[in-house]
Amino acid sequence: MVPFLGHGIGLRTKHFPDLLEQGRRADWFEVITENFLNIGGRPRAVLEAVRADRPVVLHGVSLSIGSVDPLDAEYLRDVRALADAVEPAWVSDHLCWGTFGGHHAHDLLPMPFNEESLAHVVSRLSEVQERLGRRMVLENVSSYLTYAASTISEWDFLAEVARRADCLILLDVNNVYVSATNHGFDARTYLRAIPQDRVAQIHLAGHQDLGTHLLDTHDAPVPDPVWALYRDAVRRFGRVSTLVEWDDHIPPLDEVLAQAEKARTFEQAVLEEAS
Amino acid sequence: MTLGELQALLHGRITGAVAGREDELREQVVPSPPLDSLERVEIYARMYLYRLVDAVAEDVPHTSRVLGHDAFVHLVRDYLLDHPSRSPDIGQVGRSFGGWLRTGEGFRADLPDLAMLERARSEVRTALDAPVAGAEVLQGLPAEALPAARFVFCPSLRVLRLQHDVRSLWDALEADAGEVPVPMPGPTTLAVWRQELKVFHTGLSEPEARALTVAREGGTLEEVCATFAGEPDPVHAAFKTVLSWFADGWVAAVTSQRA
Repeated sequence: MVPFLGHGIGLRTKHFPDLLEQGRRADWFEVITENFLNIGGRPRAVLEAVRADRPVVLHGVSLSIGSVDPLDAEYLRDVRALADAVEPAWVSDHLCWGTFGGHHAHDLLPMPFNEESLAHVVSRLSEVQERLGRRMVLENVSSYLTYAASTISEWDFLAEVARRADCLILLDVNNVYVSATNHGFDARTYLRAIPQDRVAQIHLAGHQDLGTHLLDTHDAPVPDPVWALYRDAVRRFGRVSTLVEWDDHIPPLDEVLAQAEKARTFEQAVLEEAS
Repeated sequence: MTLGELQALLHGRITGAVAGREDELREQVVPSPPLDSLERVEIYARMYLYRLVDAVAEDVPHTSRVLGHDAFVHLVRDYLLDHPSRSPDIGQVGRSFGGWLRTGEGFRADLPDLAMLERARSEVRTALDAPVAGAEVLQGLPAEALPAARFVFCPSLRVLRLQHDVRSLWDALEADAGEVPVPMPGPTTLAVWRQELKVFHTGLSEPEARALTVAREGGTLEEVCATFAGEPDPVHAAFKTVLSWFADGWVAAVTSQRA
């Protein structure tokens, strides 16, 4: 059973003084896993202070589950050690690849959606879950290209990965919207294909319209079309732990917390509407 | 094309490590208006470069400011070809930047040293926590155990051997003081460390630097003291130096095993 954590925000350096010295809090915090591996100092102190009275989720960006590179055993050991220390509500990462030949692109590169990739991801995910000793939560990424080699829709691919690997899904509503716009598919078709019992968390974020495509920038408030899709997601999945991501041009803490409150308001309105 | 071949193709293009192969990219990436296949791949290539430029700049903000935006981007692009990221932590991508700058030219000769100082401060800021030992642990040892005492230093201590004393340059840039001094060339040793959550750096005299090197390499107190032979007052100098290590919170523990 996945706990409902409420409406959280990402733990970001800019807000450390508010969190450490003034004790400000959201319902829960998402931590970029790689920023906290084998470190001490102020970031670790803030993480411990926040964790003392709020749930925390570890959100990785470097697992590279779809890469053909071997799994990074040292990295997985470090993630497990951090998870054992922090006791997060869950550990998540992305359905993507980002490494080749031991080199990290530090990006969330899209997978070709076909049987070869599906088998590859499922096999690696099973190994990762075993090494971490916990079920993974996997997030859909936004994308700017599609491969000629893809034979399955992204939503069917994600649902099938979750079913075969018995993992959970972090549904990034902004990513669904960005990719739907960039590739011309219906975002609501995507939501309808995702199994209701697999969604552990929802992400919301802002993006930029560059004219030729939408870019997933996490540098702005959640735009109206993404809020609309979020309401659809709540209608389909019910009450799900929701997090507002803001990673660039980060505003004061109050502004990010206001976005989390806005998500709460929308969620309540949809749930009241349904009851 | 297998999954591995596809990833090799894309990764090479995005990171700039492999030029050409446009026909294969056009075959593998679906064009869809208003962007063709190569323009779609280019979105990722641009994000790669600028994401890593930002990551290096976060480590060396003053160095990047002195260089100027365009020159910095150009240098980081070349640096990444020599030092592609091998760590899951993007914060590690700039760890060799200062050393790499030393092999280059066309910019101020003190910038590699400034970059090394900035990187060291960045590493120290998040280095693993460790308990700090006071001088009483040394004073508490029996007299006969003192010569064989060895020091265990905190993981946040760094020692830099630089070709310029860039402290005044760093101070001016940190204070945004306008005029940027140009340090004279000359060998300089700096220690960088953290006390509580604050990061400090200081210059070390040649005898202090020698003693610290011996101690960090596992030398005994006797061997540390021997490095001051030839100084005007060797006992006083050794005593003062070792006590300063404790006062600044550099020492995590002292061990003593007599032979």
